[in-house]
Amino acid sequence: MIVFNQVNKFYGDFQVLKDINLTIKQGEVVVVIGPSGSGKSTLLRCINHLETISDGTLTVNGISVGDKKTDINKLRRNIGMVFQHFYLYPHKTVLENITLAPMKALGQSEKEAKETARLYLDKVGILDKAESYPSQLSGGQQQRVAIARGLAMKPEIMLFDEPTSALDPEMIGEVLDVMKTLAREGMTMVVVTHEMGFAREVADRIVFMDAGKILEEAVPAEFYENPREERARLFLSRILNH
Amino acid sequence: MLDFSILTTNMDSFLEGLKITIIASLIALLGSFILGTLLAVMRIAPFKPLNWLGTAYVEFIRNIPVLVIVFFAYLAGNFGGMTAGTIGLTIYTAAFIAEAIRAGIMSVPRGQMEAARSTGLTYGQAMRMVILPQAIKIVIPPLGNQFINLVKNSSLLAVVAGGDLMYQGDLISAKTYVTFDTYVFVALFYLILTIPLSLGVGYLEKRLARSH
Repeated sequence: MIVFNQVNKFYGDFQVLKDINLTIKQGEVVVVIGPSGSGKSTLLRCINHLETISDGTLTVNGISVGDKKTDINKLRRNIGMVFQHFYLYPHKTVLENITLAPMKALGQSEKEAKETARLYLDKVGILDKAESYPSQLSGGQQQRVAIARGLAMKPEIMLFDEPTSALDPEMIGEVLDVMKTLAREGMTMVVVTHEMGFAREVADRIVFMDAGKILEEAVPAEFYENPREERARLFLSRILNH
Repeated sequence: MLDFSILTTNMDSFLEGLKITIIASLIALLGSFILGTLLAVMRIAPFKPLNWLGTAYVEFIRNIPVLVIVFFAYLAGNFGGMTAGTIGLTIYTAAFIAEAIRAGIMSVPRGQMEAARSTGLTYGQAMRMVILPQAIKIVIPPLGNQFINLVKNSSLLAVVAGGDLMYQGDLISAKTYVTFDTYVFVALFYLILTIPLSLGVGYLEKRLARSH
């Protein structure tokens, strides 16, 4: 479904992604971990073309992401994204945040969009906040709205870029719970996170990155019990034993 | 002591000038707001030739005296003084409003655009429905100051016989030979317009600061 083939990316002289080969199948939950600056977020952001790749090929459902002929807006409707800092629209209510894209990008009627929005708000457990503004919500609630906003487009793929890194520790659980439900329902998910518990429990596969390269790919049990790479071993020991 | 008979006997002229000043300022404000928004979006759009065009306009116009621009507007077309003056003011003020709006747009976190685009909205939709409504809030106080400048700059209509307050003052002083007093009254009429505006901008600034 998502295929990276020999992908490289440069910022000027600096190489952020090095020879990335990665295939993510439908329904798979892939968790990308690694030290900061290792290129995890960049990798994720290439998938919906928020970043452009310098060479190699990257396809989503067989469609080349960077191709000039690709309708990127159409492609993005099928790929939801959740950001570290939520980025809800502060001038719109929770409901309006969610209905904007379905109405404007999919051409849904306001009634239909609102019904869908309420459905997903209920799913993430904050239907009662539909008429609130983002500033009236806690971080965890805002992030759950952001997830509902992504889901309202009924995408096949959801991307999560450190979705819990900006949250108070007490709020992390409620966001991870929503993500676990999604994973169980068969959503294709690519998640950049430092939440090792979540990765271990939910991921079908762990991708470990360092300095722009994928160093190791393994199922969680294998990766956590016995990482092959020395760098991965070091990384794990540092974040698990602090 | 001021000669108030200048004011009372010429009240119609003063009021006519005041009316023209207000109308010209309002039209130029609306025009320069639309043109300025367009220029601001041009300057930051992901398309280089548009960036250059926007930058060229702003740099060119900002660095020419507004008086010269008003003259050009008058000479370039077959317009009356008021129309030419208003066009000149619009062209000039748009450059400053463009910069204010551009600063407003830049102050909206980049993630807002990314979030909107990632849901499949086009650049134009994201700009119109997500970025600009947030930018406008930030831009209202500097825009208010531009409007005050606009009201004052509208006195340049006088040089192309635009019929505004300053022009009426010129006529009255030429007719009565009471130059000083006439212009004192002209200044007072400008203050009647600008002082409330200035207070209004201050109030808005305070309110917006509180809401964020």
